[in-house]
Formats: sequence, structure tokens, C-alpha cells
Amino acid sequence: MSRPEPTRGLLDVLEVLEVLDPGVLATVQDGGRPGLGALGVARGGAADPASLAVANLLVGNDAGSAGVEVTFTATFRAIRTVTLGLAGADLGAVIPDTGEAVAPGASVTLAAGATLQLRGPAGPRPGEPGAPRGCRAYLAVPGGVAVPEVLGSRATDLRGGFGGRPLQRGDRLAGPGTRLVRPPARWTGPTPRPRGVIQVLPGPHAGDIGDDAIAALASAAWTVGAASDRTGLRLEGPAVPGLAAGELASLGVLPGTIQVPPDLRPIVLLADCQPTGGYPVIAVVATVDRPALGQLAPGDRVTFRVVTQREARAAAAREREAFADAVAHLREAASWDDLWHGAGG
Amino acid sequence: MASPVIVPFGDDAVLVDLREPPGLRSARRARMLAGALQALRTGMPGLGEPIAAAANVLLPFDALLLDPERVTALVEPLLLVLPADPGPTPGAREHRIEVAYGGEAGPDLVTVAAETGLAPDEVVALHASVEYEVLFLGFAPGFAYLGELPDALRVARLATPRVRVPAGSVAIAGGATAAYPQASPGGWRLLGATSTRLFDPGAVEPALLRPGDLVRFVPV
Repeated sequence: MSRPEPTRGLLDVLEVLEVLDPGVLATVQDGGRPGLGALGVARGGAADPASLAVANLLVGNDAGSAGVEVTFTATFRAIRTVTLGLAGADLGAVIPDTGEAVAPGASVTLAAGATLQLRGPAGPRPGEPGAPRGCRAYLAVPGGVAVPEVLGSRATDLRGGFGGRPLQRGDRLAGPGTRLVRPPARWTGPTPRPRGVIQVLPGPHAGDIGDDAIAALASAAWTVGAASDRTGLRLEGPAVPGLAAGELASLGVLPGTIQVPPDLRPIVLLADCQPTGGYPVIAVVATVDRPALGQLAPGDRVTFRVVTQREARAAAAREREAFADAVAHLREAASWDDLWHGAGG
Repeated sequence: MASPVIVPFGDDAVLVDLREPPGLRSARRARMLAGALQALRTGMPGLGEPIAAAANVLLPFDALLLDPERVTALVEPLLLVLPADPGPTPGAREHRIEVAYGGEAGPDLVTVAAETGLAPDEVVALHASVEYEVLFLGFAPGFAYLGELPDALRVARLATPRVRVPAGSVAIAGGATAAYPQASPGGWRLLGATSTRLFDPGAVEPALLRPGDLVRFVPV
């Protein structure tokens, strides 16, 4: 499947979406900048990359194309008629003009001038304790959001201060300008849901800290702290055993790494985490549950379940297989649609 | 010296812990190992970009193509031939970075002097007397850990990190020194500031300082 090159030239780029309200944080994100750790550059990209992938696939994009990551709420206006892919948390998306509710995991075509409002997750307000409802939704435009590529990615690096800045009211997002309207599509695969139970494997320092460390992590009920952001989730709960300060050489870390800082309250690293850290690593989140970390918000309750390498790998394989099946299903539907149009239907 | 260990780091990475005190030699060994692993990547689908740090290498991989046992078997022979001290990095560049020490830009110079029993100008002279090597990059884009700091300058980081350390701040902590490429929170002790641009995301080579490069601070 070929994809138009979003930055080929100004004439090929058309403004498609205006930001009417960015909410607390809306940024352009893609698959991030893996492999630049030796420059000190964070991997970054979508906090929930699986949901970004679904949003992109719904409009025929590559999974890692640039889309908009919305946190809790946001409102956009279509500058011209455009099909959007929506995925991730259910942030109560509606088209106020028609009253149409848009569930995540589907594409939606907005008529020129129409608005799409994400009103926020239903249930208790953010910051109040409860089961995770999800906090991030992803909007994809056909061909991907056309912003300049920096260090091989269109992701906004908030800590590094490059690759753009948080979206502001009045910002106008461009797409490549070809085939802006796509056939309706619905995601039938596994939906990365907000999860209250996160599967972890013992980290490289679990043994150094002591046998009780991983048990302390797994037996406590944690609350996601207010200081959490795209860099990491700060967990509130009982102190877990750690190592004395200064005992550890800095080491590489990745999203999903769980560190124990000197205050003995674990930190789960997310997409924007730095490539190296200096705190002991008590556990690492299984790959299958990492996208769900990006849906945890302050006030959410979370527990950890220790799994084996074999269990983690089997779960990852199942998830990837189901994902691949759903991608094939989407592509099949899209190719039938192309045939239909080609035949003049 | 303890022998290195290879431990799983989740289901899609292993950590190669050289188990030696962090310093110039451990960083050089980590870097050389990471270079060898990098060279293996073309023939080994699923092997990720190795991250060398103070005395260890993190090696991510695709969990569906590889597993910790197979990756460990890949790393073990490399550890057997890893030199005790690989020496300076071939092709390393030399940098001279001008620093305005003390004053507003170096608010910790006086307390560092008090803690180390040196006069402030002795701290400056000592800090500028050494040719440092870039041990590794981390913490932030272009942030180079430089070592080794003279023992007389070893101080602990701040108990409570500053919310904002200005870009260009030149700082020390433990056995290392560094210059902050961007404004960020930070717990290192600030001795001065440089106007040298350390990270430019639009440049062909975004980070001024690369692992193995040599750096000398010049008081101005």
C-alpha cells in the first residue's frame, strides 16, 4: 500500500482540522524516535502506541503515522470534509451538529465546518479514585498529520523541546490533501483498554533489592499520583524496598520500566522517559500491557501481577496475531471498497 | 572484579551488567560491547538498538522473534573477548568548552568549595584541569556524562533537585560532570555556564558531544 508523502511540497498539503480547544494537552505524535538513545533522545511518540496504530489503520495510514494525541478533552473543526480515525480511550466524542456519538475504533467523516468534540471520559472526574477509564484518544487524518520531521519523526518531544509544541487554540493541522474522504471503517481487533491490573516481570535489580521487593509491588493497591505525565506514572501507596542511594550505575531504561527512587514510591516510565536512569529497576511491564499504561491517569487504581517470561511471550503473541487478523480484515474491506469505486459504484 | 551478568529486562530486553565500579573503564567497555552488538544487528532480525550506559548495556529485542536465552547466547561470546580496558575511542573529537564559573550561573560553586575544603578558584582550576571523556549520553537530548571527575571534587547531588536548571549550566555530581543542553529539572551542583550549543535537533549531527569524545572546560 503506497502512502502519499505528507511533506512533498506545500501545494500537496491542505489544512484539514482546526483546533478549537486543545484541552489540557494535545500533541502530534507518531511512532517516536527509537534507536536514538545514544544521543540522549527519548523514544517518545504516542503514550498508547497501539491506539494510535488503530486510529491510523482506520483511515488507511501506516500504523506509525503522525496523529493527534488528545488528553481527556478537545474540540476540533473540519476545515474541509475529511475522514478521521478515532481510537483509544472513550472520551465521549460527539458531533454536536448532528448529535452523533462517535465510539473509538471507528472512522468518522466530518463535513466541512462541522466540529468533533471529545467531552471527556464518563464517570468520576479525573483525579478521583476509581477504576481506569482511559485518558488518551487518538485522531488520525488520511495520510498523516503533515508537520516537519525532526530526527526522523513527527512526534512532539516535550522534554527535549523539539518536534513541535502542545497544540493551541487556532492551530490548523494539515494533511497531504489527497483522498481526504475514506470509506467507513470499524476496528474488529483487540482494543487496547484501560486496565487496572498490569502484568509485570521481575526487573534486573529485584534480586539485589531482596525477595520481598517484587512481592511488595504485587501485593499493594496503587493510586496513580497527580504528578504523573507522559514521562512516567508516579505511584502512591506503601513504600517498597529499594537500594541505598548511590549504589547503582546509570543504566538504559525503556517505557514500561518500573524504578524505585529514594522516596521508595515506584515510578512506571512512559513514552517520554529519558533513555537512561539511575534508580533500581524493580520490575518491567510486559510488552502486551504497555499500551494500557498510556491510558492511566491521576487517581486511577492499579495493581501489578507478576508473570513468567513464557506467559508474557504467549500473551504478546496472541495479541499480535489478533491485531494482524484485524488489520487484514480492514485491508480486505478497503480493497472491496476500491473495487466498488473503480467500477463506478 | 566480578564477572558480568546478563539478566532479563522484561520480556523484550536483556541488561548486560558488567558489574564493575562506574567510571571511565566501565563506560568504555560498555560502549565497545554496544558497538559489537550493533554490528550483529544486520544479521539478526529482531535485535534492537543497544543502549550503553555507565557500566552496562541494555539490549532490546522483538519478543516474538527472540527470547532472553537466545539473546544471552549471542552476548556471552562477546563478553569473553571484551578487553579489560579498550582505551580511548578511535576517531574521538576534542572539544574546548568555555565556561563562566561562579556568580549567578554557578550558584553552587561556594557550597562545593566549602564541602570539599577548597577555595572557589581552586574548585574552578581543578574542574578545568582535566581532559574529560564522554562516558555516555542520557538524561536529556545531548546530555553527556563526562568523566572522570577528580576525586577532590566528588560531592553528592542536591537532596531536593532544582525545578529548573538553565540551559548551558555546567555541573558536577558524584564522579561525573556535564553541561545541561536544555533547561530542565536537575539535582547536579551548578559551577558555571557555557554559551556553547550542545544539542541542535535540526543539525546533521544533533549532539555536539559523542560517546568517547574528549572535553576540556576553559574558564573565561
